[in-house]
Amino acid sequence: MAAPGANQTTARELLRPEVLSHLKNLDLVARSVVEGFLIGLHRSPRFGFSQEFAEYRSYAEGDDPRFIDWNVFARSEKMVVKRFIGETNSHLMLLLDASASMGFGGPPVSKLRYGQFLAASLAYLASRQHDAVGCMIFDEEVRDYRAPSSRSGKLQNVLHCIDSAEARTGTKFDKSFDKFREQAIRRGMVAVISDFYCDIEHLLESVRPLAWHGQDVVLFQVLDDQELEPDFKTNVLLEDLETGEAVEVAPEFMKETYPERIQAHIDALSRAASGIGADHVLVRTSDSLDQALRNYLLFRQRRQ
Amino acid sequence: MMSLLAPLFLLGTLAVALPFWLHRLHTQSSNREPFSSAMLLETTDERVHVQKKLKYYMLLALRVLLLVLLALAFAKPLWTSPEGLPGNDPDGTHLVLVDTSASMNRSGTFEQALDDARQAIGSAPGGALLQVLSAARDVREASALTTDRDVAAGALQGLDPGTARLDFGDAMATIDRLAEDLPSPVTLHVTSDFQDSGLPVRFADLVSSQISSLQVHPTGTQRSNNWSIDAIRVTADGIDVVVTATGDDVADAVVTATVNGSQADRREISSGDFGTVSFTELPLEQGDNRVQVEIDANDDLALDNIRYHVIRKEPPTPIPLLTLDIAGLPVTYLSAALLSDPRSNYEVEAAVIGSFDTRTLSRYRWVVVDDIGAVDARLESALDEFVRNGGGLLAFTGRRSASSNRLPLLGNDIRGASLTPNEYGFLVIGQVESGHPLLAATDGWYDVNFSETIPLVAADNDEVLVRLENGEPFIIERHIGQGRVLLVAGDLQNRGNDLPTRPVFVSFVIEAARYLSGSEQVVRSFTAGSLLPLSVVAGASGQVIDPQGNSLLSLAATTRAQQIQLDQTGFYEVYNSQGSYTIAVNVDPRESRLTTMPAETLQRWVAAMSGPDDASVAPELELQAEPVELWHALLFILLLVLVGESILGNWYLAPATRSGVNG
Repeated sequence: MAAPGANQTTARELLRPEVLSHLKNLDLVARSVVEGFLIGLHRSPRFGFSQEFAEYRSYAEGDDPRFIDWNVFARSEKMVVKRFIGETNSHLMLLLDASASMGFGGPPVSKLRYGQFLAASLAYLASRQHDAVGCMIFDEEVRDYRAPSSRSGKLQNVLHCIDSAEARTGTKFDKSFDKFREQAIRRGMVAVISDFYCDIEHLLESVRPLAWHGQDVVLFQVLDDQELEPDFKTNVLLEDLETGEAVEVAPEFMKETYPERIQAHIDALSRAASGIGADHVLVRTSDSLDQALRNYLLFRQRRQ
Repeated sequence: MMSLLAPLFLLGTLAVALPFWLHRLHTQSSNREPFSSAMLLETTDERVHVQKKLKYYMLLALRVLLLVLLALAFAKPLWTSPEGLPGNDPDGTHLVLVDTSASMNRSGTFEQALDDARQAIGSAPGGALLQVLSAARDVREASALTTDRDVAAGALQGLDPGTARLDFGDAMATIDRLAEDLPSPVTLHVTSDFQDSGLPVRFADLVSSQISSLQVHPTGTQRSNNWSIDAIRVTADGIDVVVTATGDDVADAVVTATVNGSQADRREISSGDFGTVSFTELPLEQGDNRVQVEIDANDDLALDNIRYHVIRKEPPTPIPLLTLDIAGLPVTYLSAALLSDPRSNYEVEAAVIGSFDTRTLSRYRWVVVDDIGAVDARLESALDEFVRNGGGLLAFTGRRSASSNRLPLLGNDIRGASLTPNEYGFLVIGQVESGHPLLAATDGWYDVNFSETIPLVAADNDEVLVRLENGEPFIIERHIGQGRVLLVAGDLQNRGNDLPTRPVFVSFVIEAARYLSGSEQVVRSFTAGSLLPLSVVAGASGQVIDPQGNSLLSLAATTRAQQIQLDQTGFYEVYNSQGSYTIAVNVDPRESRLTTMPAETLQRWVAAMSGPDDASVAPELELQAEPVELWHALLFILLLVLVGESILGNWYLAPATRSGVNG
């Protein structure tokens, strides 16, 4: 019998992107990530999980009859329903940026593929918590949309929507977010997965109405190591994947000035997010996915 | 000025597309790296960028230059230095044309012409381009284009008067083409005796659009005394010599006839009694006889005082006339017609159709039948075989033909009543195929009258050469096997038509003899300067001996030369595969007319040539300097470019091999 520590290590290894990149089925990826994540999570004293019993309360009209504790009814003829920690029946909306810049990165995986892993894992995790999950794939336009639903069969629908995203064209948050705002009737959580190569003020103008509308927003900023710590030894002509603009840069610039600029951009995004009550999570494509999921649960816990 | 020997190789320059394509690929694939966003990037130092671009374009330029030089080297460029040849000199070009025709042999005339030419050269502007031309039968360049007057004047020393005739119309046409490539304005100086006989039929032929001005330098005198022999005609018993005297003070002369080098006869003629001088009983031998007639007179032009002629004497060729009556008119008419041609020597052998030995047909080239309808089956078969084997048949239709419905041998139907007078009384010829070789040299068909006709129906393979005015065929040609038949729808009796008594009958019979026998008349008389077609007379391995006894054809030319120019007067001996024969070459009689052009004509010519200068015509100068081949230099430059390309290419590509992206 393997030691518990060994199981945890193996599960964490499974969450690494280079391992997940070999799995073609996004459903399997999501299942592997979440189950592996949960193995480690059950050992954690910090986090409770939604399936743990919390309390009874009287049945009220409109409650799901499936949650009536029939044993209590048999003993006391009172209809009570179980409540579990984390059971809030929230909405989770996943907004995945599929612009051309998201196609950058790798090996092992591009930013978009990593974002797909993340989105699928979040969807799977939320589904296990009976949260309604929807998704929207966007770049300059809304390319695909699945309304939030808690039905178990809808998860496959969402995963398929995420899996079919391909990196192309540019990014326009305002148009896509306006479209989403028209569709979002109920309050819930919104996870935006993007590299956020945009003007921060411009982004805030798009995200701020969501926050004011009562949505809880978390910005997952996915970046590749080459973007955060570029290593060029000679002059190189870098071509913008979205605009086609070519800029010849010196290695000195990429080594000294550029990291400062990208860090400043990340910091500005983080400050802007906190300014509107949103969370900002920076994930690197070389990171394992459990960190991102943990950030999500923390975020969800704070929301409750 | 550069020209190319093989300009098609310039198509190789299309290969420059290759480096352009490769460089484009290079810039797209090797130096570019995709990056997620350029919003945080900043262009590096511009100086480094410019230096890199400069290297890139230099390498591309060197590679393009390499290919262009290679294509140019293969195109074999030639460089002709324009130094010393002022192509755009405002003084233009001065052409000096010297008449070297036969009439310029008059004493003192040619020397005066050369003096005038020297003066024309000397009077030309200092920077003008000069060229000396000679003109007789054709225009020749005596010197190259030059600005050196001494060179141009020196070219005059090599000129001599010849024996050919000058036609100013032909000469101006040549000069017009020549002047197209010369820098304008082009001034033409003509030094000549300006014979009236040298004028073209149309005055417009004298005018050249390329010549800006004409300056004439007449030489010789308006009045000249000259004896000339214009022609020699062969008669039945000798020759008639046509003698002409021009000028007021022409003296009496003696005409001498020489045959094969031996004096045969002489006549004394006075200046007022010239015309035709007959020589009879000449001692002619079998074969070609060289007849030379000479005037012994003190006149201005001696070249035309002698005339050469070749008389060929052969045994008479028998021509069988198959007739029903060997004492009839057909024999008389046919014999008279054949005998009237001094160039041929035929002897009519009349034979009765019924008793003719058909086995003798193979001895003859052609035969005559005066009534094809009288031919019996035996003779019909023999004639058919004779014609099929290449023989010729001249057939007439007599009474026997008219009495039948179909002609023997030929099978033509005879339509309607025969030998019936026409309702109009007389019919005449309505259509003659004058382009046919048989009829080209005949004339007078429309004078023939018909009182009776034999309306033949032409077969599909018949070619009707002459038709009556009512459309009926009169002369039909048919090819049978290798031979041919001429069928005349009329008799030789002078009954139904008067053809046998008309002059056209003589020429028709003579041409029919030539046509049916298949022997082309060999031309034995030429004018000086004309061309002797060697392909006809010399064959594949011939030779021509000039009057001086020199062989004119080199060993290679005996099989290659197509023609040869007859520059000398006298007898030429021509050898070919069939043997040898002699031709006579004489001065054109028009050169003996020493009358000069009217002054008004000359003035009109000069005025017509001195019209407004066409400034738009400024052709490039065709340089005469020795061209220099440039491909050696191009290859050397190409080598240097190749080395440069290698060095620069290594320099350009070196950073790329060290560059790379980690991660």
